Amino acid sequence: MKYSWLCLLVGSLLFAGTQDSDLNVNRRYTVDTVIVAGKGWKTNVADQQSDRLSSGLRKDLLALIGQKLNPGILDGLATRLKKEFSASEVSHHVLRGDTPEHVRVEFEVRPPHYGVDATVTKFLYDSKQGWSGAGSVGFSVQQNTFAFGLASDGDTLNERFAGISARYENKHLGSDRVGLRFQFESYHEQWNQSTLDALAARPNQTSDAYRTRQNFEPTATISLAKPLTLEIGVGFQRLQNQFPAAHTEAANALISTLRYHRRLADSEYQQDVDAGYTLRAATRLLDSDFVYTSHVVGLHYRVAHGKHQLMEHVEAGSVNGRAPLADRFVAGNSYYLRGWNKYDIDPIGGNRLVHNTVEYRYGPFQAFYDAGAVWDSGQPATPRHSVGVGFKESIFSLAVAFPVKSGHVEPVVMIGMIY
Amino acid sequence: MKTRSRETKISRRSWLLAGLTVPLFSARAADSMKVMYDGDNLHVAAPTLHFLTGKPLERLKYGDVVAYVAQLELLNESRTAVVRPQKGRFVVSYALWEETFSVTHLGSTPGGTPRTAEGLTTVAAETWCFNNLTMSTLGLAPNLYYWLRLELRTGTARDFAEETKIGISIHDLIDLLGRKNTEVTHWGPLETRVRLADLPRMAGRGSRNG
Repeated sequence: MKYSWLCLLVGSLLFAGTQDSDLNVNRRYTVDTVIVAGKGWKTNVADQQSDRLSSGLRKDLLALIGQKLNPGILDGLATRLKKEFSASEVSHHVLRGDTPEHVRVEFEVRPPHYGVDATVTKFLYDSKQGWSGAGSVGFSVQQNTFAFGLASDGDTLNERFAGISARYENKHLGSDRVGLRFQFESYHEQWNQSTLDALAARPNQTSDAYRTRQNFEPTATISLAKPLTLEIGVGFQRLQNQFPAAHTEAANALISTLRYHRRLADSEYQQDVDAGYTLRAATRLLDSDFVYTSHVVGLHYRVAHGKHQLMEHVEAGSVNGRAPLADRFVAGNSYYLRGWNKYDIDPIGGNRLVHNTVEYRYGPFQAFYDAGAVWDSGQPATPRHSVGVGFKESIFSLAVAFPVKSGHVEPVVMIGMIY
Repeated sequence: MKTRSRETKISRRSWLLAGLTVPLFSARAADSMKVMYDGDNLHVAAPTLHFLTGKPLERLKYGDVVAYVAQLELLNESRTAVVRPQKGRFVVSYALWEETFSVTHLGSTPGGTPRTAEGLTTVAAETWCFNNLTMSTLGLAPNLYYWLRLELRTGTARDFAEETKIGISIHDLIDLLGRKNTEVTHWGPLETRVRLADLPRMAGRGSRNG
């Protein structure tokens, strides 16, 4: 009964005549501009540089321009914007345009209400490395976000690290272009015997197997031009060793990352390009015991058409000098050379990395091919390959990866939530 | 204890004051609503009641439409029963470039023929709405006293169900019905005591009821 009037309404629509009583007198005007604005930002949907909106929604918003105002569809678009921005509310206003008889449609996106937000940032089972998990609880007050996390990760690095993290972030420091972040992490480490053996066999190549690792990283993010972002910060890393005697070493470095993100969308295909370069320079000027420079470049390209997606991700890195174990490259985890055992590739990682991933997805189904190498400078690089298939829906992922090598095939199963 | 009971009693002076004030309130309400009679229908005017103000006006100036529901009720002299109810439903929009109002009267019941007036000023739009709000006097005793009550509020989706039957466009309906969370603003009630025989007759209209 509650919706009986609606049924009547829908039914009677079928018999509604052509008589169109224009209840909103503004239907006579033509839309010349569509603006989407949030707290501290504003974008004109006609602006090709704008990458805040998904291509589909942007296309539908663009379709309003040049047409007579149709107030009936603005609510639907506001609902879609609300979903896309996870906003608490999206309202729309119609205002006078720049020329007579033209109007401007403005959508105002209100950010989500403040509250506690719990997030699982990693939850993974790897049939070789076991469980890894990380999560955080955060809350926001105006532009400020505070987060506290717990982690036990046996996947990312050569060591299994477990501990806590705390983060403060302000994404709008006076301007939408500048953000500030302070991150602190404190972990206890567990080492695989093969790593300890390799460290004994190759001393002075990297740090000792430290017992604890603490990292404090203040970073400023500056939006240089629309698709280009620069991050500048300092990392203060303290490594506490147990052997031969308890002592602490520091790996203090200047960190700089240049990121480029561009979303290209035409009527059929959506393309995303992400490129980045990270420089980490540990120097005596910062009272660092380790002196090294690390360069990492990466390019990620994605093209989507309907349910089809093709992704290409290439990454290369080089460390010059003596870097601690946590800053060396590791492959054979859930990111690089999936299916390989990281301890079989190099139990202490390498100071050179080249890696390429090609992935095809059809809806939630995925197939991927990883190729790459991790090695130390002066040593020959051994290229390795792996293939895999899986299922990925949102953050949930289930994949079986096979290392391509002569002899026996030993697949690795990975289940979890990967961001 | 004696002193306490004296304190809680309402004094004769208070009763007197209250007695004087009640008719004053009625008089003020009567002043703010004028009733005219054309021999067939009652017409109301509420020159002090301005509904194109505040939040609804803000919505209008942002290109939105605002629906209003006017409720005119004739009550018996003791105000215990509604003798005749009458509802008027109006949809108002504001032309951003001309800076004038457009009002569509949807009629008292679904199925009525809508009438629209455009290019109205604020006062003209409000007056036009009240001019279209009439109540038939057919069957009413001319010598009896009644109370006429006028209330106005912004409309909700429920007020505009079945409107497609009268040819309102689907887009307008989505626009109207889509706003579930729009808060309802009320004006009134305005009340006045009337007797058909005493009401001023509108010029140019004859009497059918006596």
